[in-house]
Amino acid sequence: MGNTTNPYSMVRSRVLKVVKETPTIYTIRLKPDREVPFDPGQFIQLTVPGVGEAPFTPSSHYRKPETLDVTVARVGKVTDRIHQLSPGDEVGIRGPYGNNYPLEDFRDREVLVVGGGVGFAPMRAVMYGLFDIVSSLAKLLYRGGCRNPSELVYREEMSRWFDRDDLNIVLTVDEGDETWRGPTGVVTTILEDLSLDFESAVAIVCGPPIMMKFSTLKLLEMGFSDSNIFLSMEKNMSCAIGQCGHCRIGPYYCCTDGPVFRYSQIKQYPNIWD
Amino acid sequence: MHYLSHDRLRQLLEKLTSSYSVFVPVEDGSGLQYVPYTSDLEHFDPGQVRAFEPLKLFFQRAREVVAQDYDTDLPGQDKKPVCVVGAKACDLKGFKVLDHALLKGEYEDPFYKRNRERNLIISCDCTTALDTCFCMAMGVKPFPEEAFDINLSPVEGGYLVEAGSKKGEALLEASSGILGEPDQDMMAERGRTRNQVAELVQANIEESGVPDRKSLEGAVRRMYDSEVWADEARTCVECGACNTICPTCHCFLLYDQKNEGKMERLRIWDSCLLKGFARVGGGDNPRPELWMRLRNRFEKKFDFFPEVANVYACTGCGRCITGCPAKIDIREVLGRLVSNG
Ligand SMILES: Cc1cc2nc3c(=O)[nH]c(=O)nc-3n(C[C@H](O)[C@H](O)[C@H](O)COP(=O)(O)OP(=O)(O)OC[C@H]3O[C@@H](n4cnc5c(N)ncnc54)[C@H](O)[C@@H]3O)c2cc1C
Ligand code: SF4
Repeated sequence: MGNTTNPYSMVRSRVLKVVKETPTIYTIRLKPDREVPFDPGQFIQLTVPGVGEAPFTPSSHYRKPETLDVTVARVGKVTDRIHQLSPGDEVGIRGPYGNNYPLEDFRDREVLVVGGGVGFAPMRAVMYGLFDIVSSLAKLLYRGGCRNPSELVYREEMSRWFDRDDLNIVLTVDEGDETWRGPTGVVTTILEDLSLDFESAVAIVCGPPIMMKFSTLKLLEMGFSDSNIFLSMEKNMSCAIGQCGHCRIGPYYCCTDGPVFRYSQIKQYPNIWD
Repeated sequence: MHYLSHDRLRQLLEKLTSSYSVFVPVEDGSGLQYVPYTSDLEHFDPGQVRAFEPLKLFFQRAREVVAQDYDTDLPGQDKKPVCVVGAKACDLKGFKVLDHALLKGEYEDPFYKRNRERNLIISCDCTTALDTCFCMAMGVKPFPEEAFDINLSPVEGGYLVEAGSKKGEALLEASSGILGEPDQDMMAERGRTRNQVAELVQANIEESGVPDRKSLEGAVRRMYDSEVWADEARTCVECGACNTICPTCHCFLLYDQKNEGKMERLRIWDSCLLKGFARVGGGDNPRPELWMRLRNRFEKKFDFFPEVANVYACTGCGRCITGCPAKIDIREVLGRLVSNG
C-alpha cells in the first residue's frame, strides 16, 4: 500500500539556526528535505525524534518555504527539548494543517492586528502576508503587548516596523523598566483611542486566552462586528487531522475547522476561552 | 435467505481461517469475550448478547504503530484481516459514529479504512438481553439491519443466513454447497425470538426510565449549568473505562518512542474523563474538574454528534453501565437531564 499516504509520517528536517529571542522563547530555523508550503495562520506539527510532537505556527514568510521558522516558548516536555536543539540536529515536520487567515478578503479594508506574548510568532507570518498586500489595504495597524521588555521577541525586526509609514504600530508592556520608552499597561489599554471605521474594520487577535478574551470584548465594545474579529485558538491537539477528539470547540475541531475562527462562529459555545 | 446448520457454520469458519484471523464470542464467566477460532474450540455461541469488548477493537486498534522514522508507508500492513463472528446490532450502529469520525472529514484514517474494507463481519441477532441493554431507546433494534457482511439468525439446529454486502453475497455464493433452504417454521422462529428480545429490552427501558431519542434533543445544552454533572461525578474514579468500552468513543493519543534505534509513533485509545485530555502546554486546563469532563462525555455524545453527523453517539449497549466501578448509569443521567434534575 505504498501509495496510501500516511497522515502521521513526517518530513525530515535539519535545524539550521537557533535564535534566543528571550530566555524562554527561541526561534528555530528549519530546512525540510521537502518544502512544506503554508499560508499565514496554518500550523505544523514539529517532532523531536523519540520525544514527541507539538503544534506550532510558522513565524517565517509563507512565500519562502525553503526554510521554516518556528518561535517556541518553553512550557513543558516537548518545548523543553526543542530549546535544547542545535544546528545540524534532525527533527520531523508534518503539515501544514488547519485554515488560514482570508487575507485576500481584507483588501480595501482597515486591518488591526493584535498580538500578545508568544502570539507575536504567528502574527509575524500574518504581517508578512499583510505587508505583501499593504498597498491595497485601507489601513494597517499593529498593537502588541507582553509582560515586560525582556519578553519582547523579534526586537531588531520590530524596530524596523516602526520605520514603515504603511504601518501604524504601538507596543506596550505590562511592566516597564529603565530601557522601555513605550506605553505600559495590558494590550487592551492601547486599543482605547483607535480611529477606525469599526463597522467594516477587521481585527486579527492572537495570544494567551485571557488576552484574546479581553481584547475581543474591547473590540466589540468599540463597535467591531463579531464576524470581523479573527481569533487563533489554542487547544490541546494530538492528530491535527480532525480525528483524535482533543481540540473540540462546540461542533468544531480546532485543528481542521480552525485554528482561525471568526468570533461569530464560536461565541455561542461555552467556555471557549478556558 | 439461506439456512446454515451449526456444523456447516464451523465448516465455513474453518475455510475462512485461511484468509482471516477469525474471532468468535465465548462465555468466560464475566461475559462474552472474543477468542480466536480454532477447530478444537469446543463451544462458542454467535448469539446471546454483545461481547464484553466493543467491536471497534478490530477496526481502530487499542494500540498500534502508525509511523516509523520518516517512512510514508503504513506500518503493520502484512497482517491478515479479521473476521468477527457474532457482532451485535448495537456495535454495528457504532460504525455510524466511527465512520463519520475517521473517514468523513478532510482526512481519512488509512488504518481504520483498511480494516473497514478488508475485515469480514458475520453478525448475529441477539437471543436474549442483559438488564443493561437499552438499544431500542437509541433507535437500534436488537438484530442487525445494516453494516454487516453476513447476518445469522439463530434457529433450531443452526441459523438463517442473509448477506448484507457485496462481500457477503460473494461469500454465500462461494459457499452455496453448504447452505440449505429455510422453511416457514424457521422464519416464524426468527420472528418469535426477535420479538421476545425486543420485549426484554423494552421492559428494561421502561424500568430504568431512560428517555427516548426525541426528548433528548438539546437536553445537554439546556442542562449545561445544572447540578446534575457534579452530582453524578461524585463517585467517578477517573478510570476511563466508560470511554474505552464504548463502541463509539474514538478519541486517541499519539505518542513517540524509540524502538531498536527506530522512531516509532504509536496511537492509543484516549479517554476524555482523564485530567490531561484537554490540558494545554504550560498546564492550563479547560476542564480541570472531573464533573466538567463527565459533562464533556455527554456533550460529545448527545450534542456534538447529533449536530455534526445527525446521530447520537450512544448505541444503548450498556457497557459503560457494567464497566463503571462508580456505578454511574448513563440511563439515569439521561433521565435526569430530561426531567431537569
Ligand atoms: C495551532 C497551535 C499553534 C501553536 N503555535 C505556537 C507557536 O507558534 N509557538 C509556541 O510557543 N506555542 C505554540 N502553540 C502552543 C504549543 O503547541 C504548546 O505550548 C506545546 O504543545 C506544549 O508542549 P509541551 O510538551 O512542551 O508542553 P507540556 O505542558 O509538557 O505538554 C503539553 C501536552 O502534553 C500533554 N500532557 C502533559 N502532561 C500531561 C499529563 N500529566 N497528563 C496528560 N497529558 C499531559 C498535554 O495534554 C498536552 O498535549 C500552538 C498551539 C496550537 C494548538
Ligand atoms: S467508568 Fe465510571 S468511574 Fe470510570 S471514568 Fe467513566 S464514569 Fe468515571
